[in-house]
Amino acid sequence: MTFVEKLRNSILQYPNNIAFHIDETQYTYAQLGIAVSSIRLVLKEQDVGQNPLVGLVTNDDFYTYASIIALWFEGKGYVPINTNAPVERNREVLVLAETTHVLDSSETSIYTDSHSVINTTKHHTSALHLDLNNSDANTLAYIIFTSGTTGVPKGVPISFANLQAFVNAIAVDPDFELVPSDRCLQMFEMTFDFSVVSYLLPLLSGASIYTIPKSAIKYFYIVKLIQEHKITVLSLVPSIIHYLQPYFQEIQAPQIRYCSFGGSALYEDIVSKWSKCIPNATIFNYYGPTECTIYSSCYKFDSQIKNKTYNGILSIGKPLHGIEFVILDQNGNESPVGELGELYIAGHQQTLEYWKREDVNQTSFMNIEGVRYYKTGDLCYVDEEGFFYYSGREDFQVKIRGYRIELSEIEFYIKQHAALNCVAIDIVNELGNTEIGMVVETKDLDVKPLITHLKENLPEYKIPTQIIQLKEFPYTINGKIDRRTIRTHFETK
Amino acid sequence: MEKKYIIKKITNAFSTVLEHDDFELKEETTAEDVSGWESITHMMIIAEIENTFGIRFKLMDLMQMNTIGDLIQSVIKEVDTLSKNV
Repeated sequence: MTFVEKLRNSILQYPNNIAFHIDETQYTYAQLGIAVSSIRLVLKEQDVGQNPLVGLVTNDDFYTYASIIALWFEGKGYVPINTNAPVERNREVLVLAETTHVLDSSETSIYTDSHSVINTTKHHTSALHLDLNNSDANTLAYIIFTSGTTGVPKGVPISFANLQAFVNAIAVDPDFELVPSDRCLQMFEMTFDFSVVSYLLPLLSGASIYTIPKSAIKYFYIVKLIQEHKITVLSLVPSIIHYLQPYFQEIQAPQIRYCSFGGSALYEDIVSKWSKCIPNATIFNYYGPTECTIYSSCYKFDSQIKNKTYNGILSIGKPLHGIEFVILDQNGNESPVGELGELYIAGHQQTLEYWKREDVNQTSFMNIEGVRYYKTGDLCYVDEEGFFYYSGREDFQVKIRGYRIELSEIEFYIKQHAALNCVAIDIVNELGNTEIGMVVETKDLDVKPLITHLKENLPEYKIPTQIIQLKEFPYTINGKIDRRTIRTHFETK
Repeated sequence: MEKKYIIKKITNAFSTVLEHDDFELKEETTAEDVSGWESITHMMIIAEIENTFGIRFKLMDLMQMNTIGDLIQSVIKEVDTLSKNV
C-alpha cells in the first residue's frame, strides 16, 4: 500500500480519533476527511489540473494540513511558504516553482495580485471525496526552497517515490512503531522537512498531532503539551533541550515512548541528562540532508552503555534501509575506516535534481560505478562496526599555517571546560591570514582559564586568537546555530 | 514588594534584552504587544529577571505565563519564598 492510500485508510478507519490538536482545538480524522474533500472540490473547479505544484501559505492551522492531504490525493505537490519570511522572498519562491495557484487559510490573502488564491477554510461539501488520482511516482509531493549561497533560493523537489522510500525505510525499523493512541509533537515550520515526518507518520497510524501556535513561547509550550496532554512522541532539534536544560529537574515524562533528534550535532552529555526526564523513551539521533528526504541514517542512544561519540557528538549511526553511504577523500578515493572525508549518499530517497538549476546539479551529484550519489558537504568517518560519525561541514575544516583543523574539535574542548554553547569559526585577519575565532554564549565568562584549558589540550595553532561573547546565539529557522550571522560579529569588530 | 516597583524592574529587563523601549508593560500585555518578544528573547528576558531579583522561576509557572500580570505574580511568589527562607 502506498503512503497516500494509507492516509486515506486512516481517515476511513479512525473517524473518531483526534487527528490534530491545534491551539486547544481538536479535529478528528472524520473532520480531516471532510476538509480534504472540500479543498479538492475547489482544486477541481479552479482547474489546477495542469500545474504539478501549488503554493501553500503555512499558517500552521488545521486547513493548512488538510490542504497538503488534498493536494496529495489529487497527485500534486505543495510549495510551502512561511508567513514569517519576507513577502518578496515568498513571491520569488512561488515564481521559481512556476505556480499559478496558492492555497491560503488566511482571512485575507496577500497573494491575490499574482496568483489565483483558494481560501481553504470555506466549507463546500459534507461528502467524502477520497478517490486517489493516479500519479506517476516521479510526480512531486513537495518542494522545499533553501537559501542558496548566491542568494537565489534553491529548490529541493521530493517526489512521491522519494517520500514512499522514506516511509518504507522507517517502517522496517522494529524499534519505532506508532500506534493510534500516540500523541505526537509537531513543532516545525512547514518550510523545514522535519515537519513532514512530524505530521505524516502519525497520520499513517491514526495517531494525534499536537502543534505549537506561532504566538507561543516554543520551549515552554512543548513542556506544557508534554505535561498537560501527555505527549508520547517527540521530534526535536537539539537547541530545544539546550534551552530546557535549566529545568530538567522539573521534567518527568515517563509516558514518552520515542524522542527523535535531528538537524544539528547532538552532544552526548546533554542528551544523557535529558534521558533521565524521559526514562522510558527510545532516543534516536537522525541525520539527513533535505536532498535525501528527511532522514538518511539513525543512531539509537542507550543510557545503559557507553555511547558512540566523536568530539562529544553522538554518532549518526548507520544508513537507513535502502540507503548507501560512502566517504571520499579529496581525490575522490574511498577513505579508509577511521579517516575523515566527505559523505556521499545514494538511494531512492535522493532527489532527482535541484529545481531547474543545471549549474548546481552538475556539482552536487556524482556517479560512482553507475550509482548516483549526492555530495553532502558533511565531513564524516566510519568505524569498524559501520557506525558513521559527523564532524562538521566540509567547509568547517580549515587550514591554518598549513595545518588542517577541524573546528568541532576546538568546540569540544571549549564545551568541556565551560559547558557553554560555543562556535569556533575561521576568520581572515587584516593580513589576509586565517585565524580561529571563538564565540561563546555567555555574558561574563572569565576567558583566561578557558584559554589555559585549551592550551593544555590543543596545539598552539588551534588556539582561538579572537574571542567574542554573545548573550544569546542566533538560530536559523530550522533551529540550527546561525553561523553566518555569528561570523558577522568578527567582521564588524 | 510593590507591583509598581516590579513593573519598573521588569521593564528594564525587557529593554536590556530587546534593545529598545518602545513599549509600555501593563498587566494585560502579552508577547504580541511587544516588538521582538518571541521564543528566544523570552528565554533571555526570564534569565534577566531572575538575575535582577535573585530568584528562580518554577517551570510550572513559566509554562502558564501568558501575560505581564502572570509574570508579576510569579516574581511576587518567588520573592516571598526567598524572604521566608531567609
